Amino acid sequence: MKSLIFAVMLKEMREIRRDPITIAVAVVLPLLMLYLFGSALSLDVKDASFAVYDQDGGPASRALIDRFSQSGYFKRTHDIRTEDEIAELLDRGRARLVLIIPPDFAQQLARGETAELQALADGSYSTTAMVILGYAEAIVQGYALERTRERLATQGGVAPLALVRIESRVWFNAPLESVNYIVPGLFGVILMAFPPLLTALAVVREKEAGSVQQIFVSPIQPYEFIAGKMIPYAVIAFFEMIMILVAGLWWFHIPFRGSFPLFLAATVIYVFCTVGIGLLVSSITRSQLVAMLLSLLATLMPSFLFSGFLFPIYTMPTMLQLYTYLFPARYFIEISRGIAMKDVGLEVLWPQFLALLLYTALVFVATTRLFRKKVA
Amino acid sequence: MNTLAQDWVIEVEGLGRRYGQRAVLTGLDLKIRRGEVFGLLGSDGAGKTTTLQMLAGILDPSEGRATVLGYDSVRKAAQITARIGYMSQIFSLYGRLTVNENLDFFAALHRVPEAERAERKARLLAFAHLERHRDRMARFLSGGMQKKLALCCALIHAPPLLILDEPTTGVDPVSRREFWNILYQALTEGATILVSTPYMDEAERCTRVALLHDGRLVACDTPARLRAGLPGKMYELVARPQRRALAALQRVLPQAAPYVFGERLHLRLPLGGGDEGEWRAALIREDVQLETVRPIAPSLEDVFVALLPSAEVAPPLAAEVAVGAAGPAIEVQDLSMRFGNFTAVDGVSFAVQRGEIFGFLGPNGSGKTTTIKMLCGLLAPSTGRATVAGVELGADPRALRSRIGYMSQRFSLYEDMSVGENLDFFAGVYQVPRAQLAARRGWALQLAGLRGEESRLTRTLSGGLKQRLALACAVLHEPQVLFLDEPTAGVDPLSRRRFWELIGEIAERGVSVLVTTHYMDEAEHCHTLGLLYNGRLIALDSPQALRTGMRAGEMLELECDQPIQALALFRDEPGVQASFFGDRLHLLVDDAAAARTHLLARLAQAGHKVQRIETVPLGIEDVFIAFIQMEQARLEAVDVRRRKAR
Repeated sequence: MKSLIFAVMLKEMREIRRDPITIAVAVVLPLLMLYLFGSALSLDVKDASFAVYDQDGGPASRALIDRFSQSGYFKRTHDIRTEDEIAELLDRGRARLVLIIPPDFAQQLARGETAELQALADGSYSTTAMVILGYAEAIVQGYALERTRERLATQGGVAPLALVRIESRVWFNAPLESVNYIVPGLFGVILMAFPPLLTALAVVREKEAGSVQQIFVSPIQPYEFIAGKMIPYAVIAFFEMIMILVAGLWWFHIPFRGSFPLFLAATVIYVFCTVGIGLLVSSITRSQLVAMLLSLLATLMPSFLFSGFLFPIYTMPTMLQLYTYLFPARYFIEISRGIAMKDVGLEVLWPQFLALLLYTALVFVATTRLFRKKVA
Repeated sequence: MNTLAQDWVIEVEGLGRRYGQRAVLTGLDLKIRRGEVFGLLGSDGAGKTTTLQMLAGILDPSEGRATVLGYDSVRKAAQITARIGYMSQIFSLYGRLTVNENLDFFAALHRVPEAERAERKARLLAFAHLERHRDRMARFLSGGMQKKLALCCALIHAPPLLILDEPTTGVDPVSRREFWNILYQALTEGATILVSTPYMDEAERCTRVALLHDGRLVACDTPARLRAGLPGKMYELVARPQRRALAALQRVLPQAAPYVFGERLHLRLPLGGGDEGEWRAALIREDVQLETVRPIAPSLEDVFVALLPSAEVAPPLAAEVAVGAAGPAIEVQDLSMRFGNFTAVDGVSFAVQRGEIFGFLGPNGSGKTTTIKMLCGLLAPSTGRATVAGVELGADPRALRSRIGYMSQRFSLYEDMSVGENLDFFAGVYQVPRAQLAARRGWALQLAGLRGEESRLTRTLSGGLKQRLALACAVLHEPQVLFLDEPTAGVDPLSRRRFWELIGEIAERGVSVLVTTHYMDEAEHCHTLGLLYNGRLIALDSPQALRTGMRAGEMLELECDQPIQALALFRDEPGVQASFFGDRLHLLVDDAAAARTHLLARLAQAGHKVQRIETVPLGIEDVFIAFIQMEQARLEAVDVRRRKAR
């Protein structure tokens, strides 16, 4: 006998096709989120505004300032004349870094003494402040080293200066552009944000309207109803992924080094997982409002915070690190970044694939168990 | 399924359900036989839906047990849900699927074999008169069509048992009649039907009925036996002035439960006539003229009112009739309301005099609420004009609002506030002057029958008391015109009668009342009726004039053995509209005398024994059906002409 899964699927497909709101949520919102987050979420420091309080004003201090300007990380926006202006600039957020050069800077250097500089950074964005101070320190170090070399040269140096140099090279993201890892992460977040929401609402809407009672009074088995609801939304989610993948590559020119087929295989598992979470939410809620809140809390929030999307998991406290295993976005984002950035395959990613598969199976079983053909 | 259980389709023992602390149903015992049309009656909150859901296997009982089709409703729920047909009270279709697709989905869901589908679909669509709408989305159908389609979906797998939860509430009378005809068709095919309804007239169509009140079974029997069991006899009086007559009767004969039925008074006298001399004398003392007294057959509603506990009887109000200037309080000219392409109200004109009760009747979606909203100044009409309480619509909304009172379908009370707080709130909203506040408040409490209960939480009131409190809130500021939008929906019959008495009293004070309802029997309480259909006013007159003026035909009531087979006999008979009516048949014909001989001959020919055949008066609903059919014919003619022109 033909399974009832097909009957539910057909009905669902027809309804979705005629519902402009579902289509808008499925197509427009993911693209919008990709565009906004891909453009706005950047941890890179580029052309950070910096102000100089140059009390010395001599060639030595100018040479140092030029180094800052030419580094590409800083853009000189203000010259400070009085001490009062410093606080003003930092308060208003006009300058991320203020460099204070004392009046006797050149003299101290000439005397061979250690010259003291002061750098004030706006710590209200602590991550960028750290990066900015790091860059500032490196620039000043470079300057100091050059001055030392020059002095040694002019004094007809007795012994050559011995130096240790670090030859650093960044793998997987050579230009250190955050967009290159934000976008592959976003794939995982977007698929966790919209498909579960759509699916949860689709079922709870039927509960609210009352038509689900008609489903209860029928020979259908819970797994048939759930699979019939799941498959159309998983198909939609899969095409959502193709769409944001194409848009991501095209808008942001991110490199995609690995295997597309492997990535799509991971996507297939992941969409069933996210849609399944939506169904799980729907089987324990009765109103659309609660379903919406719960699916946002269960999907969007953890996929932002506890998936390694923005905040690396290895820097979290151990308890929280364990907590992140509860959310499938973590596994998918590892797969997504692994394939797109590192070009690794199953030989490395198999634990994540396995976890995702198990997770999906678990969600399906739980949903089938929790979905009861009862009104209360 | 064991063979012993074959006879009983449903067996219920001590069934109960509670939600937390609240018991919704207690100790229900019930047995329903194969082939019955069993009616479950009761007001909102009586426990009807809970009972039906438990019998359908989609709600587990807290106590007791039920066996349905031989299966235990808890342990074998899957066997029940796989077999029965069920229609929930709420919208049970898929709005974005077409008529055809809805049927296909439910056919697939119930595993109707592919080969049978087309034939069953075609038959059901034909019965429901939905063939022309096959490809329309369900959400664009009228309320009546949606209910018929939902029934077709529930019948698509020819279930042995059909459970229907208030399937006809708010549906137009024509659709309602067609709906019942589909039901009887299912009955002839061997189905058993369990249906809940708030309409007492539908109870007459059932072989047996059960009355639920506050989660308990109050009565269960055939309509005929219930009527026969009513102690005493029903009488109809015409007495003037009616209000004074009612007050005198209520004083002398409280046990007779006298009530107003339009122009007439109904009362139940104990067998042997009671002390007829005493109440006649009381009427004469009050200077009441008794015009006619005649015995009448009790309705099921009379039976139920006698059975229900009559806890909350408010004393009648002192009739301090404040007659103001004569003349219309509402005058409506060619009022229309369009929403985009859709015309909700189409060129409606009427007038309501001071102290008149104007009844607005019509199915859900016919434009009743939209018209009231326009007259209250909540919605600006597309075209047309109206004057309400001397204020031109749109001229002075503030003045208008201070002169009208409005009570909406869902009694807009604050459930978490006490009775007194609700009154104070509405007094504030309507700016009742401080000096009058105490007097108005006392009056309103008396009107609601809630004197001394000011501190009671509104949520704890019964449906009937909430309804009267809502009315009291709406008239606190002594409005000249009162709008009541379905004030009696879902309230028990006793409270409904008391409510209509209150409306009568308010009207006698000179207030004009415009009231909407979809209980056709309530039409009798109104001085003037307007029947709205598809936004058009298709009938407008007094109930009496409508009944005599419309050539709706004559009704023959037929009692015979095997009424189901007899119904099949008349289905294709020209000039006869046959419908089932409990254990009898109702046959609508043009001329009763002429049809009688012919019909009797047909019955004899088919071997039926006729116990009784007689002419019965047409109900107001029969008259409305005639009006609606006339309007439908007109619309079809317009449609045909338009198509030809193209």
